Amino acid sequence: MLAPLFLIGALVTTPQMSVQAANQTAVEDGSGGMPRAVNRMVGGIVSYARWPTGSAATARTMCVVGAPRLTDRMAPDVPGPGSVTVRRVTTASVTPECDILFLGRMPVADRRQLIAWVRGRPVLTITDDDAACIYGAMFCLSNKAASISFSVNIDAIGRGPLRIDPRVLRIGGGEGGAS
Amino acid sequence: MTGPTPTPPVERIGARTTLQKLLSRFHFGITLFAVALSGLTILLAGVTALRGYADRNMELAAQLGAYGVEPALVFNDPQAVREGLEPLTRIPGIARLRVLNDVGRPVTEWISPAADPAPTLTRIFFPRPFAVTVQRNGSAIGTIEVWGDSSTLIDYVRLGLLAGLGCLLITAFGTIFLARRFEYELVKPLNEIATVAHDVRLHRRFDKRVQPLGIAELDRLGGDINALLDELQGWQGHMESERALLAHRASHDTLTALPNRDAFDEQLAQRIEAAARRGSRFALLFIDADNFKAANDNFGHAAGDAVLVALSARIQDALRKGDFAARIGGDEFIVIVELDDEVHPEGLASRIRTSVAEPILLPGGETYRAAVSVGVATFPDNGSDATALLTAADAAMYADKLTNRSR
Repeated sequence: MLAPLFLIGALVTTPQMSVQAANQTAVEDGSGGMPRAVNRMVGGIVSYARWPTGSAATARTMCVVGAPRLTDRMAPDVPGPGSVTVRRVTTASVTPECDILFLGRMPVADRRQLIAWVRGRPVLTITDDDAACIYGAMFCLSNKAASISFSVNIDAIGRGPLRIDPRVLRIGGGEGGAS
Repeated sequence: MTGPTPTPPVERIGARTTLQKLLSRFHFGITLFAVALSGLTILLAGVTALRGYADRNMELAAQLGAYGVEPALVFNDPQAVREGLEPLTRIPGIARLRVLNDVGRPVTEWISPAADPAPTLTRIFFPRPFAVTVQRNGSAIGTIEVWGDSSTLIDYVRLGLLAGLGCLLITAFGTIFLARRFEYELVKPLNEIATVAHDVRLHRRFDKRVQPLGIAELDRLGGDINALLDELQGWQGHMESERALLAHRASHDTLTALPNRDAFDEQLAQRIEAAARRGSRFALLFIDADNFKAANDNFGHAAGDAVLVALSARIQDALRKGDFAARIGGDEFIVIVELDDEVHPEGLASRIRTSVAEPILLPGGETYRAAVSVGVATFPDNGSDATALLTAADAAMYADKLTNRSR
C-alpha cells in the first residue's frame, strides 16, 4: 500500500544517484539486436497497460499502421502470460478490434485522424516516429546511438480510459515527457 | 615447661553485625538478583522481538524494492533500477542492496555510507541477505537482495540497558525503603524485648513486662519472657520475705518478740551518737526479775516463759513511743528512754515495778506476783559510752536488788 506513495515521493524528489539519460535500453550487437530490443520494450509497455475488460493474460491485438522506423519484424515480447498478435492495417481499416495502435511513419493527416479516433477508446497508442512525443501518441520510442528509449505523453494517457502503471510513467518521464 | 594451658574463655566475636544490616544486605542481594534477571529476560525478549521486526523490515524493504525496480528490469534500464531502489536507501537498518537481472548478472548495487557499528552483531543477526524474486506477470525477471545491519538493534540494546539501569535505580530505592520498613517492623519489637531483659538484669525491675507484639513469633517469645519474669518475681518476693524473717529472727527474741542483745547494742550505739550530737539526755534502765529461778523451778518452764512474756508486755506498756525495750538475757531486760522535763527515770522505774507486781495468770491456773530490780543510768551523767553506761546501770540494779532482799 505504501509502495506507490514511496514512488510518488521519489517522483517529486531529485534522485541522488548519478544522472544518466532515463530509460536507456542497451541494444545488443548483431543483426537481431534492434528488433529484439524494440519488441521487448513494446511488450513491456503492453504488460503495464490495463484495459477496462479482460485481464493481464488476455491476448491483445496490435494494429500496425504505416511503416515502423525501428524494425519491420514487429512481434512484441510480453513478459508473463499475456500475448500480442500483430496485424498490419491501413488508416481506413482500423477497427475497434485493435487494442494497440502502432503508428509508424505516415502522413500527418492520417496520424491526426487516428489520434482523434482513439480519444475516449481503450486503445494503447505507440509510435516510433515522434522523438519529442508531441503528436498525441501515448508512448514514443526513439533510438540514440546504441540504445533505444521511450517517452510518455501523460496528456494522451489521461484522455483515455486505459490505465497505465505509474511506475512506467516515471521511467518514461525521465526524459521530460511530452506534456 | 608448663602444664596444659587452660581453655581460654569464650570470646565474643569482635565484628558483630546488626540484624538491620543483615536484613538490608539480604534484601539488596535478592532485589539485585531479581531486577537483573527480569531486566535480562526483557532485554533478551526485546532483542528477539526486534530481530523479528528487523527481519520483517528487511522483507518489506525487499518487497518494496522488487515492486519499484520491476518495470526498470522489464525495460532493462539500470538507471531506472537505481531510481527504483532510492526509497529503500532511506530506510534505516539496511546496509547493502543489490539487484540481479534474469540471468543473475548484477544490474546495480548500493552500499550504505554509514559504517556498521557492530559487524559481529550484524553477522550473527543477519548472516544472509533477504532475496526476493522480481516477477512480471508470473515470470521471474530478476532478484533483489537486501542486507540488514545492526544499527537499530544496537539502538534498542543501548536504550534497553539505559532503561534497565533506570529501573534498577528506582527498584533499588524502593527496596531500600521497603527493607527499612520491614526492618523497623521486625527490629522494634526485638528491641522492646531486649530493653525489658536488660532492665530486669541491670535494675532488678522484676515488675517490667513485654507489651503485646504484632509479630506472632516474637509475641510468643515475649509471652514466654513475661511468664519467666512472673516466676522470677515470685521467687524474688519469697526471698525478700524470707530474708526479712531471718533478719527479724537475728535481731529479736523469739519468746517475747522484743529486740535481743545484738539489736540492743546497735540501738544503744545509735542513741549515744544521736544524743551526743544533739546534746540531749537519755536513761538506761536495767531490769532484772527477782527470784525468777525459783518461779521456774516451782511452776515449770512453761510458767517461766509465761512470766517472761507478761513481764515484757508490762514493761512495754509503761513506755512511750520513742522508747526502746530489749531482752538481753534470760530474765534481764533493758529500756532506753529519752529524757525530758516530763520524764524522770526513777518515776518510770517505780511505775514498772508497780505494773509488774500485778498478779500474772500462769498456764496451770495459778497466779504469780513477780518482782523486779531496776537500775538506772543516764547519759551523759553516768557514762558517755555503752560499756560505762551498762556497767553503771548494772551496778545500780544490783544495789536495788540488795535493797529488795533486805526488805
